[in-house]
Amino acid sequence: MSDDYAKAIPVTGPESVPYWEGAKKHQLVIQKCGKCGHHWFPPSTVCTGCGSRDINWVRSSGKGKVFSFVVFHRLYHKGWDGEVPYVVGIIELEEGARMLSNVIGIPVEDVKCDMPVEVFFEDATDTLTLPKFKPV
Amino acid sequence: MIEPSTHLRDKYAIAGAGHSRLGKVPGVSAQGLLEEAMLNALDDAGLTTRDVDGLICRGPDEIYTFHQIMGERLGIDAGFSTTLTNGGASQVMGVALAAMAIDAGMASCALVGYGRDNWSRVHANKENHMRGSGRPQQMYGMEFGPEFGYYGAIAAHGFGAQRHMHDYGTTREQFGAISLAFRKHALNNPDAVMQKPLTMEDYLNGRMIVEPFSLFDCSLQTDAAGAVIVTSAERAKDLRQKPVLIKGFGTGNNISGWFNGDNMTHTGAIQSGQTAYAMAGVGPEDIDYAQIYDCFTYMVLVQLEDYGFCKKGEGGEFVASGALDLDGALPTNTSGGQLSEAHVEGMLQVVEGVRQLQGIYGPERQVPNAEIGLVSGHGGNTVCESTLILGAA
Ligand SMILES: [Zn+2]
Repeated sequence: MSDDYAKAIPVTGPESVPYWEGAKKHQLVIQKCGKCGHHWFPPSTVCTGCGSRDINWVRSSGKGKVFSFVVFHRLYHKGWDGEVPYVVGIIELEEGARMLSNVIGIPVEDVKCDMPVEVFFEDATDTLTLPKFKPV
Repeated sequence: MIEPSTHLRDKYAIAGAGHSRLGKVPGVSAQGLLEEAMLNALDDAGLTTRDVDGLICRGPDEIYTFHQIMGERLGIDAGFSTTLTNGGASQVMGVALAAMAIDAGMASCALVGYGRDNWSRVHANKENHMRGSGRPQQMYGMEFGPEFGYYGAIAAHGFGAQRHMHDYGTTREQFGAISLAFRKHALNNPDAVMQKPLTMEDYLNGRMIVEPFSLFDCSLQTDAAGAVIVTSAERAKDLRQKPVLIKGFGTGNNISGWFNGDNMTHTGAIQSGQTAYAMAGVGPEDIDYAQIYDCFTYMVLVQLEDYGFCKKGEGGEFVASGALDLDGALPTNTSGGQLSEAHVEGMLQVVEGVRQLQGIYGPERQVPNAEIGLVSGHGGNTVCESTLILGAA
């Protein structure tokens, strides 16, 4: 935790409040359809699988794999100064939903598509916790 | 199930094409660049602003109803006019929309164009330069991205390239073959921004931006504009320039998301191409040249597959075979494209697609015996595609 946190602070949309509140409690929560069982991300007000309005927030196992990834070598934001190269990945959770995050705890050149990963939580500020992923 | 539409085939034409100065053009707004291109297109057709009753634009994204600004500056009232906001798919779609509007009796002669002062904007201040964008930050997602250091189109497209490399064994050398082919074309285009030859060694030693993309995988940041005139094939016959027939067009939009399903390796070009081929009554084997939207090298490779010029997964071998050269199986981006000519999100590729059928070039740039060409537009945060099939009159 730090008072001089220099990275971007997300501007939270009304539909994603449960996700960010869950992260603060170190829980990864996503939406699940009460009708067809589909999980999806980012949050919305309708099931992206079947169109049902029967939506529930559920806890993800936090396990998944790297569907794809990129390695940032160029600095786009001063908050990342000194941290390039870093990995941004699309994580496919066991439940099927995909989300963007960082893959950490492994040399950037060793990251591969389909590599198994699991969530951990980085307390960025007193009010912001970020779900990130590391190799299993 | 969408039924193929054929009644528009060869009924409308592009009667003129033009572009502005390209590259670093300080002291001119995006609107000024677009006017320059539009007036050049009108000159090409032997028309003036007084002949125009349709105006379709894409403007700097943060300007509300951009077509009204252009109408005011040009002194044009129009039966049909709008601003499109479909990213790089807007420009080819603008031509299709013009044909549809004319067919519906809402206009008879439409100007379609796009201009952007992107070099000037990116270099206007340090903040824009660091973000690599001239657009306001507010236009991008504010959660599920920036907090993870995820910025820019290079990374978005890079995910697709990485997954394609994983699924099909595509290599960086194969992406490089695309850059090299387009640079060769640019050397025969005196208006192209890039005028130095590019070798595979240069490509592989290029500064890494967002892996798997280096500097030479990325399109240029330029000030530039392009425009074309759409009218009936009948009327175009009587104008100054040889008419170029609109044989078919299509769109396909994987707007359920780039991260969804296999959208990043099977793009909107599949549906867009099938629709356009059906309208035109042709297939990939009939296409003599292509102008493929090349924001990044990978997008060329995947679109070539999705348009059926080679099988899925074989795009790497196809581009490395020399197919994209002027004497190759499918001469592609014959002006140098967005990687080496200038980047106006697909508009200059419409212009080049038209000029190849006007037959105005010398042998160093003219595709021999060109009769049918395909132009693609791709964008809208990587999931929107539009396709135009043009034919000689
Ligand atoms: Zn459902």
